[in-house]
Amino acid sequence: MDPLLLIAIIVIIFVAIFALIYWGFYNKIIRTENRIDNSWSQIDVQLKRRADLIPNLMETVRGYMKHEREVLENVTKARSAIMSAKTPQENIDADNMLTGALKSLFAVSENYPDLKANQNFLNLQDELTHTEDKIAYSRQHYNDSVLAYNNTIETFPGIWFAKRMSRKTREMLQIPEASKELPKVSF
Amino acid sequence: MGKRILVEDQIRKNKQLTVLICAFMVLLFMGVIFAFGYIYFNNIYIALAFGLPIALVYVGITYSFSVQTVLSAAKARPANHKVREEKLLIYKVEEMAIAAGLPTPKVYVQESENINAFATGKKPEKSVICVTTGALHKLKTDELEGVIGHEMSHIKNHDILIATVTIAVVGTIALISEILFYSLFWGGAGRGRKNEGNAILLVIAILFVILAPIFSRLTYLMISRRREYLADSNGAYLTRNPEGLAKALEKIKTDHPKGKPRGSKTVAPLYIANPFKRSASSKGSIWATHPPIDERIRRLRSM
Repeated sequence: MDPLLLIAIIVIIFVAIFALIYWGFYNKIIRTENRIDNSWSQIDVQLKRRADLIPNLMETVRGYMKHEREVLENVTKARSAIMSAKTPQENIDADNMLTGALKSLFAVSENYPDLKANQNFLNLQDELTHTEDKIAYSRQHYNDSVLAYNNTIETFPGIWFAKRMSRKTREMLQIPEASKELPKVSF
Repeated sequence: MGKRILVEDQIRKNKQLTVLICAFMVLLFMGVIFAFGYIYFNNIYIALAFGLPIALVYVGITYSFSVQTVLSAAKARPANHKVREEKLLIYKVEEMAIAAGLPTPKVYVQESENINAFATGKKPEKSVICVTTGALHKLKTDELEGVIGHEMSHIKNHDILIATVTIAVVGTIALISEILFYSLFWGGAGRGRKNEGNAILLVIAILFVILAPIFSRLTYLMISRRREYLADSNGAYLTRNPEGLAKALEKIKTDHPKGKPRGSKTVAPLYIANPFKRSASSKGSIWATHPPIDERIRRLRSM
């Protein structure tokens, strides 16, 4: 065979392989980026949902808790912090505030047997705990997605393609070390 | 306690092993078809033309009926939002789906005193998680979470697909070797090979066809056990709490209610613990669908 033809074939094969790898990495990077954005919107949805539940809770609780003004105020404050938050980290910080405020509210509620027997209150408590868990898991998924993304664009050969697509690593959300269960309070 | 293993590493190791075992399964399948062709027609292509369509149709049929068959065999009903226990179950499934980044599966409940759960569905977008009432009564929140994480991982790993396809392949291998058996007895085989005299090769082919169904069944069980470990470690990764599932498994081990288990034996691999064989939980058998519970607990605790 003509050696020139042979070289041409080899070059074409190499170019084709390179193009395939580039294609694969391009799609992978875009896919993981979309996944990160999507999991952020998940967190956002849950945060909003939780903030929406608060007025209902306040309405139910107000009649029973006459002497717990500070506890109630903290919840309202945290809620308005969520509503006015702009960046993801601000959002998360406000949400942590709300989690703390709700924790003390539910702890204090142990002192009000009438309130504990209220079906509406129980349902709200279940649902708020549920949204809180959902937020925790969506953050976890967000961070998992960011980790996968960073791993892709920081290891070889992904790092090479990522540079050409001018992609940078993303920040993970800082999650506070907090126990999932409500604190047991004794009086 | 052994050395601590990163959950991510265990997941990767498990996946690699599954690929290896599946490759062996494919080799067995091709081998049977070739042996069949060699013995029966002296032509492997004719066998290929018969074997592949049979296998594909079989897989297709089992696959398309899988969800309904499983649910009706278990006599499962959709979870009721009005009962608090079942509402909290639905909540937990939603949370785990978020953690796994999957659409929320439908939630079903099976009336049974046993602690058990299974997942089914053809693809992650249309999946079902079913939990027994026994599990709802007897498991604490973090234990239930561990169980649901395990089932969610079965869905995420496409284990339902792997199980149905491997079952179908095992069935096809058994079918082919049976056909061959009968034809050997009725003297139909070996047409046109009298003068070739390659007796050793023929004997090897026949032996292979006899042993293949046994091997394929064992391979299938090996895959099933492998997937259990994988779902355990994936589930622990989702909940970030291996202890929850470990405690749930401990409860399953010691809990032996009266009454017969219900459900389809084919889907036994999809349950969190085999509902039909409780006594075999202490020692590992090569015929078991699930790894021994003690070993699963040990691995979870070493994460």
